[in-house]
Amino acid sequence: MKKYIQVIKVTFEDYFVYRVNFLLWRLRAFTQIVVLYFLWRAAIPEGANILGYNQATILTYILGTSVIQSIVLSSRTAGAAGQIASGDISNFLLKPVSYLKYWFARDMADKVFNLFFSVFEISFILWLLKPPLIIQKSPKFVVLAVLAIAIAVSLHFFISFLLSLVAFWAPENPWPPRFLFMVIVGFFAGGLFPLDILPPMLFALLKLLPFTYLLFFPLNIYLGKLSNIELVTGILISILWVAFFSWIVKVVFRKGLKIYAAWGR
Amino acid sequence: MAIFSADLANRPAAILFIIGKVLRFLFFLAFLYLLVGKTKVLAGYRLSQVVFFFLTFNLIDIMSQLFLRGVYHFRPKLISGNFDLTLVQPINPLFKSLTAHTDVLDLITLIPLSAFMVFFAVTQGLAASFANILLYLALVFNALILALSFHIVVLAFGIITLEVDHLIWMYRDFSGMGRVPIDIYKGTLRAFLTFVIPVGVLMTFPAKALMGFLEVRMILFSFFLSFFLLYLSLHFWNFALTRYTSASS
Repeated sequence: MKKYIQVIKVTFEDYFVYRVNFLLWRLRAFTQIVVLYFLWRAAIPEGANILGYNQATILTYILGTSVIQSIVLSSRTAGAAGQIASGDISNFLLKPVSYLKYWFARDMADKVFNLFFSVFEISFILWLLKPPLIIQKSPKFVVLAVLAIAIAVSLHFFISFLLSLVAFWAPENPWPPRFLFMVIVGFFAGGLFPLDILPPMLFALLKLLPFTYLLFFPLNIYLGKLSNIELVTGILISILWVAFFSWIVKVVFRKGLKIYAAWGR
Repeated sequence: MAIFSADLANRPAAILFIIGKVLRFLFFLAFLYLLVGKTKVLAGYRLSQVVFFFLTFNLIDIMSQLFLRGVYHFRPKLISGNFDLTLVQPINPLFKSLTAHTDVLDLITLIPLSAFMVFFAVTQGLAASFANILLYLALVFNALILALSFHIVVLAFGIITLEVDHLIWMYRDFSGMGRVPIDIYKGTLRAFLTFVIPVGVLMTFPAKALMGFLEVRMILFSFFLSFFLLYLSLHFWNFALTRYTSASS
């Protein structure tokens, strides 16, 4: 456990090596929140109720998903593809370190870092723009939302790590599947809009896929928009997806190591 | 041509990238139809107008990436010292740095997009007059000049600070604010996006001109701004070259 805590510490220090880099990264994150905020504020004016959302609900949704996004979708596991492609993974295979746990530790550091600054950025927006917000008073929904976020963190980690394992078979260019995944998650995780505004059949299909449980599901729990049955079903489906992807990752990693030839070393 | 061939050599990767780009475009288009279809207007514009703003954004974004993709490959050249080799070659180093890595996938997506834009504008009756169409084309060209200025500034910053990647992505994030008409942004932010970081000039003005919503003074302002920024960016690039310290060679 100590070695993984050390990994977390080193990952934190990594961020401050290039300080200008770090400032620009946070400014980018802030810009993305601002764009969505103004888009939805223009689309649903005060007093209007469109697509089942009024201004307070939609702005709470957008700002809430921005915070959850900083925890769930932030990841360092893309770096694993680079290590596999360059042959640097050989260093890890020779050491008493679980490659999966190493990257999970790096991911956790990234998420803590992102969350810390995301809270500042959202607080600044709240102070500056004073949007109408919904504060959830029921502890049940808050606790369940936190549980759903924890499941979403694991789910995204396994999917992202799986995408990096493509590098075993395509070391010269492992990025296209990740790009495609980012495009799909960008629209179907619920970061851009609440998924329940989609046509009912499409939304019903999305509820069976893992993307819904990354951002939309946790935020909807917080907003108190789900019935008990929907809550339980959603949590069960998300846990099943985590189990599925964790199993697939182990299988693919084993197969990848069998064909790994340490190109570049 | 060599770079085009290299891009297409890895066909599965090229196909996946094209699918990703097309999906990204279609998803956002579907989102606009879903959103503005229900709200009827967005910042005073009806659905077809909002869609055309988005199409114009894509046209300018893809064209600027098609010609200026070299900026994404500039930092490795700086930190490895390979930029020294660019400086000693009998080709303008700025031109080479900007255009070195043209992506043929951008060209592949540009052609159907352009055709669809013409079809859409004609069938929706968006152009106020033939003169407005000419003005639109002139302002798209103007937008490319502005984009060129931004890219030159990023390269110059890269030489001085070695910071390129986040800076160019910041440009992409700011210009991404032009996916929808900047009229959705209020007060100070809209002024900021028009006069300070001129996303409005870049992405919104051409479509507004086509629809006959752009005042003459703003048209003149946009042309003045882009050529003034180009002049400044070229001076900044020359200044940056005097500050270049090679990593190795």
